[in-house]
Amino acid sequence: MRSLPITIFIILFAVIGNVVAIAMVSVEREVLREKEGAGLVIPSAIAKVAALEFKGILADIIFSRAMTYYGGKAIRGEKVLEGEWKWIYESMDVATDLDPYFLDPYYFGAMNLAWEANKVKEANALLEKASQYRDWDWTIPFYLGFNHFYFFQDNEKAAFYLMEAAKRPGSINLLPTLAARLSYQGKKTENAIIFLQEMLKKTEDKNVRWIYERRLTALKAILFLERAVAAYQDRFKKQPQNIDELLAKGIIKTIPKDPYGGNFYIDKDGTIKTTSELR
Amino acid sequence: MTAVWSVALITFKEGIKSRVIFGIFIIALLLFAATTVVITLFMRDIVKVAIDLSLSTVSFAGLLTLLFIGVNLFGKDLDKRTIYMVISRPVSRSQYLIGKFSGIVLLSFVIVAFLGILSAMPVVLSKRFYYYPEARFDWWIYFIAVIYIFIKLAVVSSIITLFASFTSNSFIALVLSLVAYIIGQSTESVRGLLASQVEKIEVSPILSYMVEIAYYVFPNMSAFDLKMQAAHGLKIGPDYFIWTILYAIFYIIATLAIGTLAFRRREFP
Repeated sequence: MRSLPITIFIILFAVIGNVVAIAMVSVEREVLREKEGAGLVIPSAIAKVAALEFKGILADIIFSRAMTYYGGKAIRGEKVLEGEWKWIYESMDVATDLDPYFLDPYYFGAMNLAWEANKVKEANALLEKASQYRDWDWTIPFYLGFNHFYFFQDNEKAAFYLMEAAKRPGSINLLPTLAARLSYQGKKTENAIIFLQEMLKKTEDKNVRWIYERRLTALKAILFLERAVAAYQDRFKKQPQNIDELLAKGIIKTIPKDPYGGNFYIDKDGTIKTTSELR
Repeated sequence: MTAVWSVALITFKEGIKSRVIFGIFIIALLLFAATTVVITLFMRDIVKVAIDLSLSTVSFAGLLTLLFIGVNLFGKDLDKRTIYMVISRPVSRSQYLIGKFSGIVLLSFVIVAFLGILSAMPVVLSKRFYYYPEARFDWWIYFIAVIYIFIKLAVVSSIITLFASFTSNSFIALVLSLVAYIIGQSTESVRGLLASQVEKIEVSPILSYMVEIAYYVFPNMSAFDLKMQAAHGLKIGPDYFIWTILYAIFYIIATLAIGTLAFRRREFP
């Protein structure tokens, strides 16, 4: 039985070699995959046929692939490139063609495309599709309403979607009031704060919460400064030149910080802006 | 009838004793376990993902059973020449064929029933883990989807029976059944694609005819796929149940009839 130790030796040798090799393969694959970039999207027509009875699972896979790619970039602190956003949008579109009731790709796509990529049109296209299929879900037209109000400044359309949301079961009582408020142009910042606070209540995902909370802090600061400007105008019957003037005249005690890292200033038309442009 | 029943019982016992079935069970259990891990990667529609994976596992395990055990249960008698023992007994050839079919259907019934109940576990877990208030879910639709997996497997069994009735070895029967299954799964999508014409691709009329013929010849497996309805708790009308079940019954009768016709004329070497 001399061959037994030899066999064991060979097995051990191969196992150790394998462990080393697979570690190196992972490193090499990482390099290769980075060069591959985000990759291609299978057209939905082909995906539908090729998935056989496993369309739901294919939708899950396509969605999670795009999500983990985006997540990896976010963790590494890298910017998502223009072409990659296109890929993310198309992935979400195909995933929801395979399973048009699947909430996650709509939600993930719409949130990140609107807030991170500034592609509100694409985000709204996804949400429109979601609203059509998930016709019981009031949150979808609610998000659509917000996007029209906040990103497009189209209050009429926003009110339309909010009323649509209010018709669906389980919706919050606030919606009709909010829709009515939208027709009153003056209160943009306040309305946005109300919207965001409601959206925060419905959000558990940490990343999305962070997006909302940051914007909410900025908006609250803007509202604070807007009110200070109004108080200044009341008292001195003219517009303040800059924010320091508010400080000097004792209307505010401190200048709030912009969570996006910019500085607030008073624009020529008297509105509060920030050098970061909330980005 | 007793003849059919005894053939069915023998076939079933032989199938359940197969070692392959343990492998399939282990794969299914691993997939159920994987489901509970995978769902944590998703955001809101977690129950949907759990249902997708659970039901697909049941369906996949059922298909594996049919293709690896079901086909062999036919093949064995022919390959090992034990068929002579059977046809020399007072069992007619059609009784033998229908008995074999029933045995395989019984086998897939047991597997779907067992795995169908087990498949509820990851779903229950996922509901505990996170349940989005705007998600819809209904255990009724879930178990109807499980029943439809069984109906689908019964249709696949009839196809296996048909192919086994005239092919000379089980491998060919396996390949043909697999091809029929794949075509059956995709005809509806392909037909819909050709009808919609969204992509503005010119389609030759011959191709359209071929797809149309395939749609009627091969079973429309998409009709028995209610995974999406289960995943989102979508309502299904009673007419749908009546017509799909009738469709399955007629299809099985037609396939078995053709199968017995071929099997009766067959000469054994």
